[in-house]
Amino acid sequence: MMKKRTPDLFDFLKMVPERIKKAENAPSDEIRHVSTYKANALAAALHPAVQHLTVSAVTPLSPDVKLYRLTPDKNAGTEKLAPFSAGEYISVTVKKDGCTYSRPYSIASSPLEAEYYYEIAVKRVKGGAVSPYIHDNWAVGTSVTASGPCGDFTYEPLRDAKTVVCAAGGVGITPFRSLARAVSEGSESFDLILLYCARKEEDILFKNEFDAMSRIKVVYVLSDEEKPGYEHGFAGAELIKKYAPAGEYSLFVCGPLAMYRFVGAATEKLGLRRKFVRLEAAGEKNDPKSEPDYTPADKESYTVKVIQNGTEKTVECGADETILRALERGGVSAPSRCRSGECGFCHCRLVSGKCYIPGSSDGRREADRIYGYIHPCATFPRSDLTVEVPDNPIGD
Amino acid sequence: MRFDYDVIVVGAGNAGLTAASRTAGAGLSTVLLEKNNLPGGFAASFVRGRFEFEASLHELCDVGTKEEPRSVRRLFSDLGADVDFINEKKLFRVIVKGEDGYDVTLLSGEKDFRRSFLSVCPDDEKSVDRLLRLLDETGRAIEYNDRKNGKPNKLYMVLKYPDFIRSASHSIDEMLIYLGFSDKARLLLETYWLYIGVPADEANSMHYLEMLRGYINGGAGIPPHRSYELSLSLADTILKKGGEIRYNTEVTEFIYKDGRAIGVKTEGDEYYAKEIISNIIPNNVLNMSGKHTREKDRKLLNARKLGMTFFCVFLGLDCGREELGIKDYTVFIAKNSSPRRQYEDEAGIYVVNCLNAAVPCATPGGTCSLVITIPVFDPDILSGVTPENYKKFKSDIAKKYISDFEAVSGIDVFSHIEEISVSTPVTNARYFGSPEGTAYGYEMSRWDNLMSRILNRENELDIEGLSFCGGHGPNGPGFGVTYISGVEAADAVIKRIKGVK
Repeated sequence: MMKKRTPDLFDFLKMVPERIKKAENAPSDEIRHVSTYKANALAAALHPAVQHLTVSAVTPLSPDVKLYRLTPDKNAGTEKLAPFSAGEYISVTVKKDGCTYSRPYSIASSPLEAEYYYEIAVKRVKGGAVSPYIHDNWAVGTSVTASGPCGDFTYEPLRDAKTVVCAAGGVGITPFRSLARAVSEGSESFDLILLYCARKEEDILFKNEFDAMSRIKVVYVLSDEEKPGYEHGFAGAELIKKYAPAGEYSLFVCGPLAMYRFVGAATEKLGLRRKFVRLEAAGEKNDPKSEPDYTPADKESYTVKVIQNGTEKTVECGADETILRALERGGVSAPSRCRSGECGFCHCRLVSGKCYIPGSSDGRREADRIYGYIHPCATFPRSDLTVEVPDNPIGD
Repeated sequence: MRFDYDVIVVGAGNAGLTAASRTAGAGLSTVLLEKNNLPGGFAASFVRGRFEFEASLHELCDVGTKEEPRSVRRLFSDLGADVDFINEKKLFRVIVKGEDGYDVTLLSGEKDFRRSFLSVCPDDEKSVDRLLRLLDETGRAIEYNDRKNGKPNKLYMVLKYPDFIRSASHSIDEMLIYLGFSDKARLLLETYWLYIGVPADEANSMHYLEMLRGYINGGAGIPPHRSYELSLSLADTILKKGGEIRYNTEVTEFIYKDGRAIGVKTEGDEYYAKEIISNIIPNNVLNMSGKHTREKDRKLLNARKLGMTFFCVFLGLDCGREELGIKDYTVFIAKNSSPRRQYEDEAGIYVVNCLNAAVPCATPGGTCSLVITIPVFDPDILSGVTPENYKKFKSDIAKKYISDFEAVSGIDVFSHIEEISVSTPVTNARYFGSPEGTAYGYEMSRWDNLMSRILNRENELDIEGLSFCGGHGPNGPGFGVTYISGVEAADAVIKRIKGVK
């Protein structure tokens, strides 16, 4: 046992003099700048708030999809692209007619290529606010502002099975191009089986690339035509069962909203544990009427009063339109990233009014519900509203 | 644009929130500037799939019950925040590996603590009773000090509370040895050193006694909806009192005039005020003060060592807690019983929390969550980490600690992982901007401990127009004390602005 000793009652008188002496003897140099510490330098490299990029190549992939190669814009302050994990996305900012829009695009290039560039594939959506603008305006040399890489649609060896069945629908192939390349290059190690669903053969993107890749298996599934060498139909339970291994496997899904519902039913049929099913953020809901918990509105549109950085503005929001869309169209530069209710980057305070938030995309925290905070990317108005929107860190 | 207020609070961490709530409540026009899009700093949560993970809180001490509220409940209700806490009966379980290892659970509440302690250390009855008397003496001494507004009669203190005064200038080790504890009992009681951040042969024992008193007598409490609930409840009080909160608003520069801090710059805007309260660490404030720094402040900061930070492994499991065989909310797992070894050895000690054991419905039915917290004392742990290998670095840490926990507990974790997320000092640096991602401000080392900070507080970092609050302040890190430090900073500001005696 340690020797017992009675601590000196008056030692406390020595404390302040010792403290003062310690400080006296320290150097009076300028305080080391926080950005020079290792953890802070890593954080800045991994998670830049903004990346300034330049379009360095444009490749049409099909009549309505173009591939954009983006390189760092050193003149605007981005020396190096942030590294990313295959499956992550960047949120791209587009300014048009005095309005600021954002759209998430999966990075379609391989993680190793981030040393030089990212690639994103953009599909022209008829009547869309952003994609037609990109198609018509982005050319080699165009400056682009984007977020750092984000998202959770990545392979995690401690969670996922050794084999991943990837179900891709349409332009939802993009994250899988990155994952397939990572596997093929050896920077990710798992067995990848890709079930790539498209309407017709001509809609299949990157076919030559996938066919030439080693270490992955690709099955093309056409819904609108029957052709030899192609499966016909959708990525349902039967097809998944046909190509999946006998033992454990994970299922990764990225595609249009309808595909998630379809595959969702299939996973139940297959008895897949939830841990083995990963769905990429589904994107904004443009048709909330099909949600099981849909709450009808009593008006076609509502007025949203927006308070931002001490100023006020009013915008109109359709009953079945997300508040985020109305903000953007109304000229409010609002923060947003995933646009699927998940990431919480658009988090803002509902000062007053009633909303409908579909349960399937309500990614808020419990306390947000108690104290009235919403993710406007997944929220629909059900009365006139007042919301307090923070500044957009990507800038206006 | 230019904005003018009575008070600017920079940073909406625990202390920033209570400070702004207090000044707004005193009728001062107040703006709280926060660089993130949420309030709370470390007091936050995040959602992955069907899980909402607590980002940092294990439990608050000195919470009390609804019927008999103690300091934390009283502080929240004084500020007008309506929150409830779930009381946790177990103090902790500690598993020490190896030949001389032990597996002990201690309970809170004076009687239960004594009983649970004596069941494993039956020969330390006299010492534990002396300790309980000392905790009582500590309570009375602090009460006296508060009555005297922090300016007590020192001679009276020495005569009336001698052991409390001894504890002020001695380490936990020295005091527990003085109380006559056996080595085993002492090491067991010292398990909580971790929450001070320096080992028990160095940590100030008054700091420790006050914390232990808070846990044993005051009782631990946990908010039902993560600590983020506490943050939002405080933010709510600020808004209700007419204060403003600006999120996504990062301060980039402090503005001075004739040696007085008069405002701050953000991207595009300038804010001016009679008083500024900084919840961000003094190092960063001096970084943003250009040539307006004083030699004495630079010297003090250069003498200090940054406090500890953490790795956390957040796990959402697709199996219920009981089915997995998890019984405890908090388990400390140590390689060795000596705090000094725990501090110096890599993986010397870590903590595993299963929130469902305290808050049963914290995750959906048939699931539970586990959070492994690994303290980091040595920033060199990041040497060799590059942006490119960072993901693997995180995965390797998770694998190592999950494996160790499986081996110690016999619980199958790996095959149930539905969600996994790992935070590191880099994560802390990203969200909180503190140097090296420190979570604990400055290390409470022998010369820079709680008592030495408090005794000299009037003479330090007293920049005119600018005061500090938070875990880097005199009261040190931790949930309860940072809430209090914001209130204290605000009260001083209110006094100065209103000129009330």
